[in-house]
Amino acid sequence: MKSITVTVNGVAHGPRNVRDDLSMNDFLREYLGMTGTKFGCGAAQCLSCAIIVDNPDGTSETSPTCIVPAASFDGKMIRTVEGHARNGELSVLQRAFIDHFAFQCGYCTAGFLNEAQVLLERLARTPIARADLERTIAEALDGHLCRCTGYVKYHEAVRAVVLADPARYLRTAPP
Amino acid sequence: MRMSRRNFVQSAVSSGIALSFARLAVAGAIPFDARETLPGRRNAAIDAAGRLDGVAKVTGAKLYASDFRADDMPGWPSKTAHALLLRAADATHVYRGLDLSAIDGALAPDAVVTAEDVARIHARTPDFYAGDLFCPVGATPFYLGQPLALLVFGDFDVFDQARSALRDAKFAKYGDETGPVESPSYGAFRFTRVGGPTPEAPDVFSPVNDGWVSPGKFETIRNMERPIWARLPIPTGADYAKVAETGEQIRAELASDNPALLVLNQEFQTQSVDPMFLEPESALGWYDAGRETLELVLGVQSPYEAAESVAFMLGQANAAFRPKQITTRFAYCGGGFGGRDHTPFPLYAALAAMAFPDRPVRLANSRFEQFQSGVKRHAFAMSTRIGVDRATGKIVGFAADHVLDGGGLANFSANVATVGANAALGVYYAPKADVTTFAFHSRGVTAGSMRGYGTVQTMTALETLVDEICEMLPLDPIEFRRRNALATGWRTLAGNPYIVSVRTPEILEKLENHPIWRDRAEAKAHAPPGVLVGTGVACAAKDYGSGADCSLGSVAIAADGTISIQCDSVEMGNGIGTAASNRVAAHLGRAADEVATARIDAFGPLGLVTSSDPYLISQWMQDAEQRNPRWVPAISSASSASVGAHVGTHAAAEAARVVFRYGLWPAALDLWRVPRTDPRAQAWRQALWKDGRLVMPGLAPLALADLAARAHAQNGVTAAMTHGFNRWSWASAAFVVDGETWSADIDALAVRRGSGDFVRLDRTAVTFPPTDFNRIGTSYASLCGTLVRVEVEKATGAIRVARGYSVLECGRPLAPEIVIGQAQGGFAMGVGYALLESLPPYEGGPGEGTWNLGQYLIARASDLPVHALEVEVLPPVEPDERPKGMAEVVMIPVVPALLNAIFDATGHRFRSLPVTQPMIADALRKGAPR
Repeated sequence: MKSITVTVNGVAHGPRNVRDDLSMNDFLREYLGMTGTKFGCGAAQCLSCAIIVDNPDGTSETSPTCIVPAASFDGKMIRTVEGHARNGELSVLQRAFIDHFAFQCGYCTAGFLNEAQVLLERLARTPIARADLERTIAEALDGHLCRCTGYVKYHEAVRAVVLADPARYLRTAPP
Repeated sequence: MRMSRRNFVQSAVSSGIALSFARLAVAGAIPFDARETLPGRRNAAIDAAGRLDGVAKVTGAKLYASDFRADDMPGWPSKTAHALLLRAADATHVYRGLDLSAIDGALAPDAVVTAEDVARIHARTPDFYAGDLFCPVGATPFYLGQPLALLVFGDFDVFDQARSALRDAKFAKYGDETGPVESPSYGAFRFTRVGGPTPEAPDVFSPVNDGWVSPGKFETIRNMERPIWARLPIPTGADYAKVAETGEQIRAELASDNPALLVLNQEFQTQSVDPMFLEPESALGWYDAGRETLELVLGVQSPYEAAESVAFMLGQANAAFRPKQITTRFAYCGGGFGGRDHTPFPLYAALAAMAFPDRPVRLANSRFEQFQSGVKRHAFAMSTRIGVDRATGKIVGFAADHVLDGGGLANFSANVATVGANAALGVYYAPKADVTTFAFHSRGVTAGSMRGYGTVQTMTALETLVDEICEMLPLDPIEFRRRNALATGWRTLAGNPYIVSVRTPEILEKLENHPIWRDRAEAKAHAPPGVLVGTGVACAAKDYGSGADCSLGSVAIAADGTISIQCDSVEMGNGIGTAASNRVAAHLGRAADEVATARIDAFGPLGLVTSSDPYLISQWMQDAEQRNPRWVPAISSASSASVGAHVGTHAAAEAARVVFRYGLWPAALDLWRVPRTDPRAQAWRQALWKDGRLVMPGLAPLALADLAARAHAQNGVTAAMTHGFNRWSWASAAFVVDGETWSADIDALAVRRGSGDFVRLDRTAVTFPPTDFNRIGTSYASLCGTLVRVEVEKATGAIRVARGYSVLECGRPLAPEIVIGQAQGGFAMGVGYALLESLPPYEGGPGEGTWNLGQYLIARASDLPVHALEVEVLPPVEPDERPKGMAEVVMIPVVPALLNAIFDATGHRFRSLPVTQPMIADALRKGAPR
């Protein structure tokens, strides 16, 4: 057993005793009742369970939760699908997903949302050339499985967010 | 056991147990205004377009059955217990009982259910799931993955540790080797048709006219029962003998040495695959012993069937296991693809709850368990023969034999066999055809309904064979299709014409003029070094509907003009709520404010009753039963068979028409001060909605809110509720509303006036589709054509799908963006089926519980031409053409088009699926035949 505290969407949860082998997915879904983070395969293959980990250096990354112990998130700050909207306002990415009909059943949406949000934040820190945009999106999202959509509209939605604010996400000229 | 006469009221009675259905409200504290994230409710403040459930899905609202726990449910105990279903990983040895030593002591379950318990409590297995719910000790498991025991744990952490401990433990003891259990096959049918002298002339012989037949005689070959298709020299059934004689004659003609004919034979095999919907099956149950009430939260495509099956299972159980009432709530599905239609999963969830009374129990599959137990797509072995006149390039005869592995339980195997057989001719017309199909039991995981439903198998075989014929004739593949396309009014294999638009020529023209096809030679000639380039084409016609489809829908308009819709269809990602809203908008001027799906509880005012089986009922009985104005052939059906657009939205659309005609239109006349005696008072069909206002020439446009307020003020019809039944044609009935006769394609109607209660209006006349329409096979079909361009790396056999184009027709698309998305998803599933996905049927396969997504590969974005995939939807033939189901047809041609493209690139014809990189590499290594 280990006592952990995890900050989820800005709210500290803990200290709380958890078994060493309790998965982060079960911590979120069974202990905290936050079921926006999904369980798809339990083998980190579909990434419907991915959440965002905010690092102390200001960077962020996604992590699967189904095979990662909750204890390893002790002291960390994470974001889940429930935390993207603020004060009743959808994020730009959430709105783009809706406007582009990006998802169908929606079970994979939380994972795609988190991955694409991390990508957008990375591009905001390190813009890329326009020519690299589709490839960059493809590389970022390729680990996520969707059985309904064929992925097209997810990719188009993310691209639309970038192209709507090129000054933020794209380099204007080669370095 | 056949259900006795069933009453459909809010608390229906089934197997002596009262059934009620309740709405599943979005539960739980979500960090967002809960009202704003309700699925199916628009919110003007958010002002997001897109799906009705869009906001809920991007904010993580609780929607799916797997999201709900006891403390989400009002009035339930707060703590959730957890159940684990142990399944057999061996189906060739005698099961000798459980060994739970891995979880003794602190990890021991609080309750265990086995076959012996099921027998002791007198639980019954519903006919559809015939077979032991659990394998009894002393028997060989009937199939891999058959449940052995259900364990219930009161505490999550105990459950979690126990499931980990059992994952690597040998929890089942096995004894002597017996080999697999033999069992009767699931169905054997023969479809034989001889057309008249012209395609328009009456048939000489057909299944529609002469009946569907089974051979009736079987022989055992290598311990496996096989039908005897030949006409036996003994008095077999006269019907079968006649069909067999005709069929053998067709085959003899194909086998004759006729130089004018090109006859090709093909053997083709398809594999077992998993629907792989992303949310594993999950359910929550609570048996409140004090109230003797079982409450369930389910996520299925067939809600009415699930509730009835649970009631049947427990209907004659011992008192402690027989609830007086079952209340069922239905959640959104995280994907379906047919795999949640008639699934036995709810039965086990109900047993878990009954075995641990007074504690809510959750049963949720892991992905390993989902692979081990979820219904699969049937593996087919097909032998196909086509005869083509060399001079005209026209098909003169067709014969095929299909063998399906149905796995452990019958499920829909017989239906898949017949649907696959009836689709064996694809988009083509053949004057003579003879198709046999046979579905057998095996020890594999149960196969059942899955997107394509037998047709993706048979049409893949057909379309690859057609490609081969075109090469040998030779004839351009699109020209061949043009010459042989089944035209409007011509008959399908069953001997029945489609009653909807058949637009093959337009689709072929689109394909022919698309750059992927037009530039195929150039693309091949300019292939990069080390790369082979190929282009493939294929077409498919997919039926939609099941032959006994029901639609329940209601529409209400409030005094402020807000619109709400309820329907019995299930939302599984197909956008049924959005589609219903858009279809109703055509009648009421704008999209609905709220759409509630899976509301099989909401139609009590119709007071519907039914009896018998809609597929088997005799004409005599139907004629007798329909005298009861509340009787319908069936009440609610599964959301499957691509019926979403056509059926799922039908009843709501019909309800909207009634609200308009008897609520808004009289209100409009009142506001316009047009007296009822004015000829314009009857001109309601000429009124149009424009920018949310009702427009009539020469009269002031009226806002919906004003109309709604006036309709309420004058106590007009402000809500309507209808039921529709479709057996390849809609039932139609007449009702008296406001002194007028209202005739429509519905068989039950209730209306609400002002803010009053719903009042049933008994029909005054009704016409149900004749019962012999059950022979039709189908009369509805959508078409789709696909082009693909592939690039194959010579050195490795690696294949890249470089470009894709699908063109389809689906009548009036209700939600065009969702139609496009379904087509893109169908393309992806087609790529997976053609190139990636495969499950070994028996040992080493998913039934052993060891399969997951590391082994089972579905298409990722990098497997697809994400930015080079075009989808084109033909505009409807007329503005109000009825919507047609399209979710299945868009997947089918992708598969053969890929195989044809691979042949074009490599010169190799692959006759089994999937075509993997090692197979291509091996073929290239051995040398192309050209």
